[in-house]
Amino acid sequence: MLIAKLAFRNILRNRRRSLLTLLSMGGGFFLLCLTLSMSEGSYSNIINIFTQDHTGHVQIHHTNYLERPSLYKTINNLDSILAEVEANPQVIGVTPRIYGPSLAYGKNKTFPAQVIGIDTKREALTTRLKSKVKQGQYISSDISKEGYFEAMIGYSLANNLALTVGDELVLISQGIDGSIANDIFLVKGIVGDANSYEKMNVYLSLPAMQQFLSMGQGENSQAHELAITLAHQQLAQPFAQTLQKQLEVSELTVAPWQVVESSFYNSMQADKKGSYVSMGIIIFIVSIGVLNTILMGTLERTREFGVLKAIGTRPLSLFNLIILESLILAVISCLFGLLLSLPVCYWLATSGIPMPEPIDMGGIVFDTMLGEVSWYVVIVPSVVVIASTLLVSFIPAIRAAQISPLKALQAT
Amino acid sequence: MNNIAQNNTQKRDVLVNSTTVIETKMLCRHFGQGDTLVNALTDANLTINKGEFTTIIGPSGSGKSTLLQLIGGLDTPTSGEVLLDNKHISQMTGTELSDFRRDHIGFIFQAYNLIPVLSAKENIEYIMLLQGISAQERAKRVSAIMHDVGLEGLENRRPAQLSGGQQQRVAVARAMVSEPSIILADEPTANLDSKTGIELLDMMKTLNEEQKMTFVFSTHDPKIMERAKRIIRLEDGCIVDDECFS
Repeated sequence: MLIAKLAFRNILRNRRRSLLTLLSMGGGFFLLCLTLSMSEGSYSNIINIFTQDHTGHVQIHHTNYLERPSLYKTINNLDSILAEVEANPQVIGVTPRIYGPSLAYGKNKTFPAQVIGIDTKREALTTRLKSKVKQGQYISSDISKEGYFEAMIGYSLANNLALTVGDELVLISQGIDGSIANDIFLVKGIVGDANSYEKMNVYLSLPAMQQFLSMGQGENSQAHELAITLAHQQLAQPFAQTLQKQLEVSELTVAPWQVVESSFYNSMQADKKGSYVSMGIIIFIVSIGVLNTILMGTLERTREFGVLKAIGTRPLSLFNLIILESLILAVISCLFGLLLSLPVCYWLATSGIPMPEPIDMGGIVFDTMLGEVSWYVVIVPSVVVIASTLLVSFIPAIRAAQISPLKALQAT
Repeated sequence: MNNIAQNNTQKRDVLVNSTTVIETKMLCRHFGQGDTLVNALTDANLTINKGEFTTIIGPSGSGKSTLLQLIGGLDTPTSGEVLLDNKHISQMTGTELSDFRRDHIGFIFQAYNLIPVLSAKENIEYIMLLQGISAQERAKRVSAIMHDVGLEGLENRRPAQLSGGQQQRVAVARAMVSEPSIILADEPTANLDSKTGIELLDMMKTLNEEQKMTFVFSTHDPKIMERAKRIIRLEDGCIVDDECFS
């Protein structure tokens, strides 16, 4: 209690210097908070767009499908698994997919294409595919008057095959029973652009794909992939772990987006590490300022420390006094920094900074840099400011604790 | 050891039949080495008993402050021993020495050396807080000592709001309040005007007589010498005289 009283009064003793330190540390907190808010906001935005574009937050596959995809590695009992996944309150949407690499034939040209069978309704609720239709319409599982299923093709494939809405598309592939799969489909829509993920894809409805590849239908439906979107991307890893245990089907693997798109995740992590350097520089500058203040404060009080030691104050108590003074300054600075940061971060999270040149990422246009307000954005700068302050305070605190009372009393 | 000093010490041991508070044996303190060697104190043998009002006198550089610093455990002797309450203080570690100073020694400095951010009352209370004395007891002792040193009503003033004499009274109160075995005062009146210095000395002498507290001063102030019951004279780091007065 006495040490706390002394610490508070020592801080108030040189108010101008304490205020400058507070501003420096608070400013450091503000910069850290803002940097984190922008970086986390940007990453969250990219992750959300990326996962909602096609990946989802979590995917279920037959074991080893991701490493070595195969037509035969299917998820069976599709309906029961869908029901089990949907029963989870964290799940926003879940959609099954069937993949079949095929040869697509348009007007006198042939190109390889990734044919994806989708549950049209579920896919629309789970990813942004429907919103990316640029020409025509989003497919349904209906059959046309001519007896054709509908198909939706990627922008580049449509260009390569010189196809447009209403044209016929011929697909040739291998059925799951080993037969040659070939059929005619009616182009209902064209999705994405020349840079988007689906540029060389063909989308069929699930019944159309099942029929095309001679796969089980109805109660015996199969799929290669289940994409799940959750309430928040941060839930992906724990949810995947829980679901893996919950499913109790040994041949199925539940993977979060970080595993499914590991190259994207790893490059993002590497980019994040780069931003730590700028944060390190901020911390370094703030720490030098704090070290200077605390050192000045202790040097000025050398004689006082001598008196305190002479009358019986233990070295550890003096050490604690210096550390406590720094801690109080750091906590007040964090509160001050928080007061400054929160409104700005909130504005960044809600309005953001409009980009002078919008960026097109796979057909999705980024026109605003958004920030984020989260516990992480607030707690990390607090921990960093407090920890770095305490760390630099160790030097003057040890100096005060070890000082000879006689030498200190003789100091001018 | 100087013969005069030795004889006087022996004489005192016979005359004063009371508890020994301080004992120094062949105490030496040298600074520097080789050509720059300074013998600040040489073979000082000294015994101070409980309740004495002792003054160490001598010209500047004679070793007065060095002797007080060694007795108070603020400095370490080059050789020899210091026993305070029969404990070898020169063998204590940093924390042991801190605790020992807290419980056994009261310091009064020439420059008052009060903690500027604490009020008079808090400065006095500080040592008792370190000692873990209860709030009730602290309040009682602070009240009594403020009365004794004549500072009633000034409890909440910070040192900067007190005169030099008042600050030194607070320093005396701070030194005495923990009821130490001995109070060491290094030229306590040097920064005070003549009148204030005399008042302070009379106050300390009264406290010494009433409370049987042991005081050791270093000074070259004749006013203190007049009031001393015992005068130890130092010259060039050696005790050259040790006189007792009734």
